[in-house]
Amino acid sequence: MSEMNALSAAVEKGKRNDAKLLTQQLLDAGHKPLDIVEQGLVPGMSAIGEKFKNNEVFVPEMLIAARAMKECMILLEPLLAKAGIKPKYTAVIGTVQGDLHDIGKNLVAMMWKGANIGVIDLGTNVPPEKFVEAIKAHNAQAVGLSALLTTTMPAMKTTVDAIRAAGLTSTKILIGGAPVTAEYAKEIGADAYGTDAASAVDSLLALLEA
Amino acid sequence: MNPTRQRLLELAARGHRAPIGTHLVLHQHAHPHAMQLDGAKLGGVLIEAAARYETPLAMPLMDLAIEKDCLLHALGVPEPEIESYHFTEPPPLVDDLVATPKMKAACDAIRVVAEQPGLVPMGMSIGPFSLMTKLVSDPITPVFLAGTGLTGKDDPEVAVVERAIETGTRLILDYVEMQANAGARAIIVCEPAANLVYFSPNQLAESYDVFDRFVMAPMRRIKRRLESAGAELIFHDCGELTPGMVARFATLDAAMVSLGSSRLLWEDAACFPKTTVLYGNLPTKKFISPQLTPQVVHAMAADLAGRMRASQHPFILGSECDVLSVPGQEDALMSKVLSFLRSP
Repeated sequence: MSEMNALSAAVEKGKRNDAKLLTQQLLDAGHKPLDIVEQGLVPGMSAIGEKFKNNEVFVPEMLIAARAMKECMILLEPLLAKAGIKPKYTAVIGTVQGDLHDIGKNLVAMMWKGANIGVIDLGTNVPPEKFVEAIKAHNAQAVGLSALLTTTMPAMKTTVDAIRAAGLTSTKILIGGAPVTAEYAKEIGADAYGTDAASAVDSLLALLEA
Repeated sequence: MNPTRQRLLELAARGHRAPIGTHLVLHQHAHPHAMQLDGAKLGGVLIEAAARYETPLAMPLMDLAIEKDCLLHALGVPEPEIESYHFTEPPPLVDDLVATPKMKAACDAIRVVAEQPGLVPMGMSIGPFSLMTKLVSDPITPVFLAGTGLTGKDDPEVAVVERAIETGTRLILDYVEMQANAGARAIIVCEPAANLVYFSPNQLAESYDVFDRFVMAPMRRIKRRLESAGAELIFHDCGELTPGMVARFATLDAAMVSLGSSRLLWEDAACFPKTTVLYGNLPTKKFISPQLTPQVVHAMAADLAGRMRASQHPFILGSECDVLSVPGQEDALMSKVLSFLRSP
């Protein structure tokens, strides 16, 4: 197994110490930081995402894998920044106003990061204007809105309306959460609905690369 | 047998049905948030809800933020920070519960209900594990690490989780006792976070040790405290569960167990004693969807009731969780609740 494959496997299995060590070894061997991200980390997260979609692994394993990737990124991010390398796409994400639940939102953020998408995580209970400000400030191509409660779903519509009213008509809007459906996404003018965190990567890339 | 358990079994035998729907009724009033702080008015809402749903079960509001609020007040966390506050190190143990205004109102409301002949006064609390998940910013990772055999001595994040569960359990023990002393004959203890988001089925396939330590052991302490206070346990978990989790809940000897719509109750029934009523589990979290019309809900209720009759397990048809009022959707949601109450 090559060191790059070994790194992917370490990330997938959530072995953060191994992953960090392998990342350092790859850097020491002269591999470019972006290559390590794209050929080592992203395949690892992609593999665990596929297993998640197929119910072979569950949320805890995903988080452990993400933790391993995060350890590697601590080494890589300064080097990527120094070389002026930015992710191809940037997305803003947050749980809508009135809702404090963050597990689903965190999982989607983690999977997007795992696909080498720049993620601006606004946290929970985010008012519509904050989404608008962040999209503008970071030139984000997409935004993810999360809600767990039926009582906070209407805040998704308010947020979608605020984004469109701010003239951000080309920003792709994805929504997700336990009570959310594809029909609801259509009803409130969102571009897509993500059934789970792993699918959210496919949905986002499909929208951005259409 | 405890008379409350006997009453629940009799209701089940008569094909009774009732939603956890007090929130819907409360929010038909002009000042719902103020009413939550007024025990007399809140008690009136519980009585009104029971009458509206034609049930003797006076279900309280499922407000699962009360206990976190109480604990953090006791620890001196400033009010504006409470909602989003998380422990970064093991919290201190709090031995004496200082009831918050909401807790006092909840207990006063139970007293009001207890004065009404024919009603079953009920209390409500979050469970220790679910409370912990509100106190820690990333609880899933340390729970997983604990499942690999790490303890608080090995990992600081696991230490925070262990202590948060213990601190929360002590507070909950006091709160359920307070409600029982106010007259609650059954307490609904909600553990929605005890599910396969927080516990990996892969890990549980090897051992349920972490689940037993973090969920079941605190629940058994609560069950013992309720027994000594003369109140029955109603256990609620609307999360996605493994069969092993359900089998463990069946050992709690709860008077009633309420599970989410992901469960096939007629199959789960086999692992519960006949002295535990099963409750639920219509998909009320999806009632907001226009696809779930009252007619569809009516048919789902009839199907579930039929399957449960065939299972011959004591059963009360109801909601998978609290039916929350949504602005602009109040009438639609109520019509769906009423449709399942009236299905054959």
